[in-house]
Amino acid sequence: MATATLGNPPDLSDRERAAIEALLFRLADDEFVAAERYTDWQVRSPTLESDLALSNIAQDELGHARLWYDLLEDFEHTESALIYERAAGEWRHNTMSELPFGEGDWADAVVRTYLYDTAEAIRLEALVESAYPRIRDRVEKVIREEDYHRQHAESWLSRLASDEEGQQRLQSAVDRLLPYGLTIFAPMGDVEADIDDLGLRTETLESMRETWLDTVVPHLEGLGLHVEDAQLPEQYDVHHEAMELPDELGRDGTHTDSWDELLEEFTFAYRDLGRTTTTEIMADPDDVE
Amino acid sequence: MSSEIPPDPKGLDEFDREVLGLDDGLACPYPDYSDGSAEASLPATGKGAEGLERAVWDALYAVEDPEMPISIVDLGLIYGVTVENGHATVDMTLTYTGCPAREMLLDEVETAAAAVDGIDDADVRLVWSPPWSIEMVTEAGKDSLREFGLSV
Repeated sequence: MATATLGNPPDLSDRERAAIEALLFRLADDEFVAAERYTDWQVRSPTLESDLALSNIAQDELGHARLWYDLLEDFEHTESALIYERAAGEWRHNTMSELPFGEGDWADAVVRTYLYDTAEAIRLEALVESAYPRIRDRVEKVIREEDYHRQHAESWLSRLASDEEGQQRLQSAVDRLLPYGLTIFAPMGDVEADIDDLGLRTETLESMRETWLDTVVPHLEGLGLHVEDAQLPEQYDVHHEAMELPDELGRDGTHTDSWDELLEEFTFAYRDLGRTTTTEIMADPDDVE
Repeated sequence: MSSEIPPDPKGLDEFDREVLGLDDGLACPYPDYSDGSAEASLPATGKGAEGLERAVWDALYAVEDPEMPISIVDLGLIYGVTVENGHATVDMTLTYTGCPAREMLLDEVETAAAAVDGIDDADVRLVWSPPWSIEMVTEAGKDSLREFGLSV
């Protein structure tokens, strides 16, 4: 539990700073990459309503990414270095969020947002009492904007699960995405112990992963879907071995081939224009004095 | 696949009604900004402020939200103003993290504060806590929003 409050960026020890950065990179990169992918569905969703909803969810996630990147900028990172000039292997997002959607497969979008937003709710809740005030101060705002993402995903899950073709599409999306979804809770390394010890979050990755599985598995099964012994992967816990993590965990810098293409795409304009920095209207009001 | 919402609400079956949340009065799942409670000191309106701080509040009253005809002060976005040795500091939040007008609006606020006679320069500090909610809109602000056609 959070026992002490950490100071402002300039007052932090190296260990504190490294732990905070590890936590923030994960939060920011997940949101940013998820949003970049969601926009693939813009103007292609099955109804205008869902097109609007998914575009708006993408906008929310970009807004949240910006809040977390702002905090990384406290540590002398710049927006251009963080987003437009960072090497592919330096990104720390989970690998489910980078996967391309199955072609025209709306069930993929529905299952993916359901898995991601359920995980997101769990991990944001564990930041409400964070020992780092600058995280604590913004997490409530983010939580408040996340609720309807899950409502949207859950309502579409029920809708698709109500007939046979929808069931099959959902099933194949679950089979494909769930192992990648587990990478949301993959550790970045030894820094995880520091994150917990310093009270930056109040629940460990393992505990959050169990909460997540205990939530999504019964929900999916309740819709008539089959979750192949979706328990803990062997790497984490020896009492189940059926579900294996993908080779690419994201958190350790390993990514699927599709990541290179996505990165290439969203940095294209920046490179094409020969930019070296992002344009700013004013000094960043978020910078700590 | 039942992927289309029937256009006629009367054509909705029980399942559709549940999916759409119609019976919960929740046809459009959207962030609910109404559950926040206004902090004791918010909305801040500059009431009781004097001298240069009063003047900065007055200048901020003249800045409008980019989408609605309402002062950003009445909208409850300004959490505090302090002036020290001619330097104004404005604490401000936004209604939405994904606000595309963030830099424009903050720039406008900084410029408005710095233009006050007796103020040499101004800083805007963007804050997110407590999160903005509809309870932070002043009574005068609610009137403006109603006039604009919003139900608040």
